[in-house]
Amino acid sequence: MAPPQPRPTRRLAPYAFLAPATLLFSLFFALPIGYAIYLSFRAVRVKGLGLGSGARTEIWAGLGNYTSALSDPELLGGAGRTLVYGALLVPAMLGAALFFALLLDTPAIRFGAFSRLAIFLPYAVPGIVASLLWGFLYLPTVSPGYFLLTKAGMEGPDLLSGNGLFVALANIAVWGGTGFNMIVIYTSLRSIPVELYEAARLDGCSELKIALKIKIPMVLPSLVLTFFFSMIATLQVFSEPMTLKPMTNALSSTWSPLMKVYRDAFIQGDIYSAAATSVVIAVATLILSFGFLKLVNKRTDGGS
Amino acid sequence: MNRRALAPAALALTGVLALAACSSSAGSDEPKAATGPVNLTFWSWTPNMDKVVALWNQGHPDIQVSVQKQASGDDLVTKTITAAKAGNAPDLVQAEFQALPTLVSNDVLADISKQAGAVKSQFAAGVWQQVSLGTDAVYAIPQDTAPLALYYRTDMFQQYGLKVPTTWAEFADAARQLKQKDPSKALTTFSANDSGLFAGLAQQAGAKWWTASGETWKVGIDDAATKKVADFWGGLVKEGAVDNQPMYTPAWSKALNDGSQIAWVSAVWAPGVFDSSAPDTKGKWAMAPLPQWNAGETVTGSWGGSTTGVTTGAKKAGHADAAAQFASWLNTDPTAVTALVKEAGIYPAATTAQTGSALAVPPAFFANQADFYPKAAEIAKGTAAAAWGPNVNVAYSTFKDAFGKAAQDKGDFSAALTAMQQATVADLKKNGFKTEG
Amino acid sequence: MRTKSTRWIPTLILLLGAVYCLVPIIWVVMASTKNGQELFTTFTFAPGSGFLDNLSELSAYRDGVYWRWMLNSALYAGFGALLSAALSGVTGYALAKYRFRGRNALFSILLAGVLMPPITLAIPQYLLMAEAGLADSYWSVLLPSILSPYGIYLARIYAAAAIPDEVVEAARVDGAREFRLFRSVALPMMVPGLVTVFLFQFVAIWNNFLLPYIMLGDDSKFPVTVGLYSLLQQGANAPALYTLVITGALLSIVPLIALFLGLQRYWRIDLLSGAVKS
Repeated sequence: MAPPQPRPTRRLAPYAFLAPATLLFSLFFALPIGYAIYLSFRAVRVKGLGLGSGARTEIWAGLGNYTSALSDPELLGGAGRTLVYGALLVPAMLGAALFFALLLDTPAIRFGAFSRLAIFLPYAVPGIVASLLWGFLYLPTVSPGYFLLTKAGMEGPDLLSGNGLFVALANIAVWGGTGFNMIVIYTSLRSIPVELYEAARLDGCSELKIALKIKIPMVLPSLVLTFFFSMIATLQVFSEPMTLKPMTNALSSTWSPLMKVYRDAFIQGDIYSAAATSVVIAVATLILSFGFLKLVNKRTDGGS
Repeated sequence: MNRRALAPAALALTGVLALAACSSSAGSDEPKAATGPVNLTFWSWTPNMDKVVALWNQGHPDIQVSVQKQASGDDLVTKTITAAKAGNAPDLVQAEFQALPTLVSNDVLADISKQAGAVKSQFAAGVWQQVSLGTDAVYAIPQDTAPLALYYRTDMFQQYGLKVPTTWAEFADAARQLKQKDPSKALTTFSANDSGLFAGLAQQAGAKWWTASGETWKVGIDDAATKKVADFWGGLVKEGAVDNQPMYTPAWSKALNDGSQIAWVSAVWAPGVFDSSAPDTKGKWAMAPLPQWNAGETVTGSWGGSTTGVTTGAKKAGHADAAAQFASWLNTDPTAVTALVKEAGIYPAATTAQTGSALAVPPAFFANQADFYPKAAEIAKGTAAAAWGPNVNVAYSTFKDAFGKAAQDKGDFSAALTAMQQATVADLKKNGFKTEG
Repeated sequence: MRTKSTRWIPTLILLLGAVYCLVPIIWVVMASTKNGQELFTTFTFAPGSGFLDNLSELSAYRDGVYWRWMLNSALYAGFGALLSAALSGVTGYALAKYRFRGRNALFSILLAGVLMPPITLAIPQYLLMAEAGLADSYWSVLLPSILSPYGIYLARIYAAAAIPDEVVEAARVDGAREFRLFRSVALPMMVPGLVTVFLFQFVAIWNNFLLPYIMLGDDSKFPVTVGLYSLLQQGANAPALYTLVITGALLSIVPLIALFLGLQRYWRIDLLSGAVKS
């Protein structure tokens, strides 16, 4: 595509354009990440009773934080719970997002702008309010849902313990995240040239068929993207369980791997093992994302 | 993304490591002499603290304090430690009693025995021991204390013919009787989401969770006294005599408000909580001394309570005298303490204030109990000494998980206690403390 | 030809989805109208009588510090999102429209930023900020919010789709310099995509909690999320000011809604409108 001999400014231009992002990335991502990695190899040693100034010194810990992170059954347990949660959440959320995006893209629907805004709105609700809100909606004695079920002579499900908890948590994430993903998918739906399906419409294809045969394949890249980001978000699940934690005994402070990181760093004041655990989580995320992208690339290469 | 792409990133990070390794600051430890008016910052979560501080600022143009209101909670301790580590700590901090050893251990709080040792006589010995950590040093001035008592619905107790329990055995009987008469009600709940209440109940039974001897910490979380408390509540939860759901949820507020729960073991600050959580029950509650393990005793524990500390940062900046002067004023001066009671609804730690004019009238919610505060002062006299150690945060967060699970499953409370003990000892060992227990 | 009559089934399904998303928000609206007594006693979705009292109480709290928090949030989110959209625009454009050595590597590294959980980065970021003497300043919250891997990704995709190579080439033939080309040819074509980036980033910064929580000690610099948290956590003895928090939370969503409605006009995601067809 590029002409054989571009002018020198043209060769330098992209680097100039990328300089600000590179600088900010180095300062606010790479540097702290490096610092976190450094901290993950450190630990504290206490002298005597550990009271008064100079009682704590930082020492080199080698791989000590890593071995204790990897041998902690809670981390593995948290990973297991996260997988179950993700298996519920990701298909439900992306399914709903794709479905709504396709509906929004259907010609001659009404109140599209309203629905689009309404579905996106939960994304804007701050986490601390979400906690209060779901407390009121999930706790049987104050929930209007349970109130109606009791009126109808039915017993409500137990959402705050056992398996119901996964549903309760996934529901919060579906509620909060569908709108965001819907807009990403909708954006790419709108970028499909209209001519592509005008012809199909003239041939009498139903909207359903157009959606299945033309639209979904065309937005596949954005589905892959949203899946990819949802997967990372799932592995880093934190705010939904933190939201419900005060409401129930069933959520431990190490329910998800990142909650354990938070507990270690912010409650127990052990930034060193928290850093090691996060590096483990980041590496696991990296491996999974690579695996996923490889799989996708293989599929698309084989397909085309 | 591909694997090659990460090589430059790894390179960049190696450079960062070298950078970070030599970035620790070398601040001067020499206190500078303060000249001109001193401006102090004060981290506090107490509501309306700024109004109380305004009284000080009016009378002390040379020492101006500005309140920076914080959210209370376990993570505030970490925030304070991190700020201190970076040399950005405020001059004064509010800290709960149990957080003091952790803060001292992280070199956040300065010893102000020279400046403020004189106010010692205004506090009960057990309270003062918690700010001196059993040494000659003084790390903070006590602000408020929180002796435990039993709150109960007078009308409901009458309706169900229940006797106000004076011992824990009677308490258990009352719980069973109520369940028998009306299964939809519960005397109270065992909540696993606040470790402070359990710690207070254990103190009452005579527990000593952390004790120092020589260079060694002894952890006694699973001592006989605490085990007795854990088994008592575990038994009540197991037989269904009390509820097992956490406090401070909308469902709990509703249960207090509509009479589904008719008693609450809580601290002297409970009226404020009732006021917001169970507004419909105004005038229907009364406070009684905490039930005892042995009839005739008058022992209680504490749930919370906080102090005002001066940071090592303030000391380095030469502000220690000014900050200590303010901290003493805030917690002992009659004007200040009266304002704290009135504006912030705290129960003052200074003994003179507990019987002073500030507490002459009962809290509005307890207008029916005219002698609320004299009674509270009587209860407070029996407060058992608390024994805190350098990793209360670890013990507390383990409590929430282990007892949360035990309460949910109506399972083994003493196993939960063992888990708490083991996690606490393991954490001490990991940090290089000498331990025993 | 298609008839223009409304398709009711898709419309209804969409409205159902809207209702699902709105029900909890209606709860916030209803709860904000209740006074402390009504909050725990009246039916969840019944309106209360205390909205104006809640509002004036909230405004009176600490001499109106709530409005200060709102202003701070507007500053952090407004400038942060604006700079973020600009940065994503220029970065995404360069990544989409130039072929150069290290392009994919750079893109991958920028994206890899999302792999490290923000919780882990908060404390190192704070310590580094403090080292630079910027902790507890507006900069400490603003600067780390500018770079958004997600925004760069979106901008790259958008630039690739919305800016035809022919247009770029034509401008080059006319002798346009590279930056001018970006500013006056590429940028206008990318506006709808950058509006999306702006909105996403605005919401993300507005609702960010952990970074400002750890960075800021002075509550007059708090954004509204950290401010509300300090209202919620006043210690066990001082019950949370639920009514104030809920009212404050509701008001804090209003600017976001206004922003969305206001930008609706520019937020026409239709990529090909006005662009050269291939």
